[in-house]
Amino acid sequence: MIQNDAFPAPPARENDYNEGERVYLMADASIFIPCTVDLFLPHVGEAMVSLLRRAGADPVYRRGQTCCGQPAMNAGYRREAIKAAKHFIDLFGNDEAIVAPSGSCVCMVKHHYPELLEDEPGWCRRAAELAPRVYELSQYLVDVLGVSDVGAAFTGAVTYHESCHVLRSLGVSTQPKALISAVKGATLVPMNQGDFCCGFGGEFANHYPDISESMVQDKVQNYLESGADLLILCEPGCLLNIGGYLGRHHPGKKVMHLASFLAQNGREGR
Amino acid sequence: MRISTERFTELAAQEIEKARIRPSLKMVPHFLHEKREAVLATHPDAPAAQAYGAAIRAEALARLPELLEEFEKKATANGAKVFWARTAEEANAYIVGLAKERGAKYVIKGKSMVTEEIGLNRALADQGIEPWEADLGEFIIQQMDRTPFHIVGPAINIAVEEVRDLFLAKGYMKEPTLDPVALGWAARLFLREKFHRAEFGVTGVNMAIAETGTIINLENEGNIRFTKSSPRTQVSVMTLEKVVPTMKDALHLIRLLSRNCTGQRITAYVSMDSGPKKEDEIDGPEELIIVIVDNGRSRMYRDQRAREALRCIRCAASLNICPVYRQIGGYAYGWVYSGPMGQVLMPPLLGLDRTQDLYRASTLCGACKSVCPAGIDHPGLFLYYRSLDVSADATTHRGFKAKKRPWKEALFFRAWGMAAARPWMWKSGISLARPLMNMHSQHGVVSRMRGAFGGWFRKRDLPAMAYETFRERWEKR
Repeated sequence: MIQNDAFPAPPARENDYNEGERVYLMADASIFIPCTVDLFLPHVGEAMVSLLRRAGADPVYRRGQTCCGQPAMNAGYRREAIKAAKHFIDLFGNDEAIVAPSGSCVCMVKHHYPELLEDEPGWCRRAAELAPRVYELSQYLVDVLGVSDVGAAFTGAVTYHESCHVLRSLGVSTQPKALISAVKGATLVPMNQGDFCCGFGGEFANHYPDISESMVQDKVQNYLESGADLLILCEPGCLLNIGGYLGRHHPGKKVMHLASFLAQNGREGR
Repeated sequence: MRISTERFTELAAQEIEKARIRPSLKMVPHFLHEKREAVLATHPDAPAAQAYGAAIRAEALARLPELLEEFEKKATANGAKVFWARTAEEANAYIVGLAKERGAKYVIKGKSMVTEEIGLNRALADQGIEPWEADLGEFIIQQMDRTPFHIVGPAINIAVEEVRDLFLAKGYMKEPTLDPVALGWAARLFLREKFHRAEFGVTGVNMAIAETGTIINLENEGNIRFTKSSPRTQVSVMTLEKVVPTMKDALHLIRLLSRNCTGQRITAYVSMDSGPKKEDEIDGPEELIIVIVDNGRSRMYRDQRAREALRCIRCAASLNICPVYRQIGGYAYGWVYSGPMGQVLMPPLLGLDRTQDLYRASTLCGACKSVCPAGIDHPGLFLYYRSLDVSADATTHRGFKAKKRPWKEALFFRAWGMAAARPWMWKSGISLARPLMNMHSQHGVVSRMRGAFGGWFRKRDLPAMAYETFRERWEKR
């Protein structure tokens, strides 16, 4: 394997093979890269890979992957979403664990695939079998790998945006907070209305700019008032929205995907 | 009732501007939500209580035809008269006719959303019968000729200064004041006189119990109880989904409704009517007429999925938590209902063709679903309506009337669907899109773009499309 700085070698894990209860560490994590990450935020994908390796997993990237189908389903194009869903199931169907740095993509596969395919029993069964094996990144790290301290360090106050699908569709909230809290030197401070939508909503942000802008303004206002130096989240859509607004109006303020935050500050902690 | 659902985007922009000038506007739903949270926690097991409420509403809808028949039988046995109205026009004509027959010069009204929906006030006024709203909020918006801003607090957006000016102009008080208690007192003095001489009262219904034929109203001002007890004739208007199986079910829903709605354990008044005044009783209306309005609901009921929206008990918790409602308030939704409850209810009632913005202007954040005591999956219904809106059979099978989507969008998604199942096509699509996306990029940032994606770039940037996508980076490694 070619060594690349963006993809550091996995840490040694000689003990893992013999310990019965930690045998899951041998498992490969098949990674799903959301379109937004693939096209606009590839560094988030790379951060996820390095993070998974550091946590003891061996991420595999299936090159045939395209999109989970969310944009089509949200726009009402079920037939097209079904095509994407079937492709996803064919590609990932045999993988033990599929990990994605996005709550909404995971929610799509987990909750919407079985519903989209309800008229085709064979496909529906395959979708239902796949559902429990799909994980949001922080969920996979904490709940499956049992890792909350990835050995990162950061000096300063950070706050966390509870993305809608991560929080309400997947019920994931303690996991990212545990990962953030374990970072040496980082203080997790609360943010007002941290569980409020930032106004992304895919096509919504473009089609209803008045409402969407107002929502992201409120979100940013709450972030500024929290006094944190950095806003962390687990959803690339929110990252593009909040980041896009901050970039133009508050260029000094930072927003980061949890994966980048943990991976970028990782080496300092080692 | 004027309907302006097609002007959603334009009205929303106006309302956002108003809220910018008056930031307090945004705080009202916030306070209501906070209060709800605190009081809901007084339930020993709040999630279980909510789930029980959802189960009651689900059962009520599953058995709706049977329960309605039973309710009619029991209510009639109690001495009430039941009238079935297929449409708003039928309901209005019947009530107006009744008021004329009874020789009523005016009608006193308790707060009710269904009479807003059917436009009863207009119908009465057209026939020379004055309608007087007795709920303070409804009283104010009636005088100002507005629609409800919020289904529970119809006038929560009206500034106290506006109320002062209105009351002075109408002569309800002589001295200007901003004291809410004094303003309330002025309205009470005026309405007391109306109650005193009332012959004909009209109210809504919160719940109708099939088992006992009882109708229930919840309120905090006492105007509904007054409206139901002082006039000779009481007309209670309900839509057909208000029925629940038993008194026990209703009592649980009362607990839930109070908590979810106004953050109270119980509202100040809960009144139950099982029939008009009996011979040995000293007060109450001499006749009780229950008008059951369909107005598009039985058509909606035939659709197994859309029927879920009929579970709503009008608590407005979904409005108060909705990040979109908090930005735009209630007017932009274009009819009497607003917020997520309106967004799931109005499209099947009015037609999907004229309500596209209602089910599309949502980020699918799911906050509404998380608070709903009736177990409505609002985002799921939005997705359902969107899919009906796209698929051709919406016009033929469901009777919901869909409009054709723009051809460019349809073409885009057709191509997208083909590519999503063919990785080589997907990759070529990305290579083709990149130069277009990055045409105006500077230092890795795109700040403007013309055409279909202009909305995003008004106040936001986007990273330029990566020179190497994740896939390309991985393949090169």
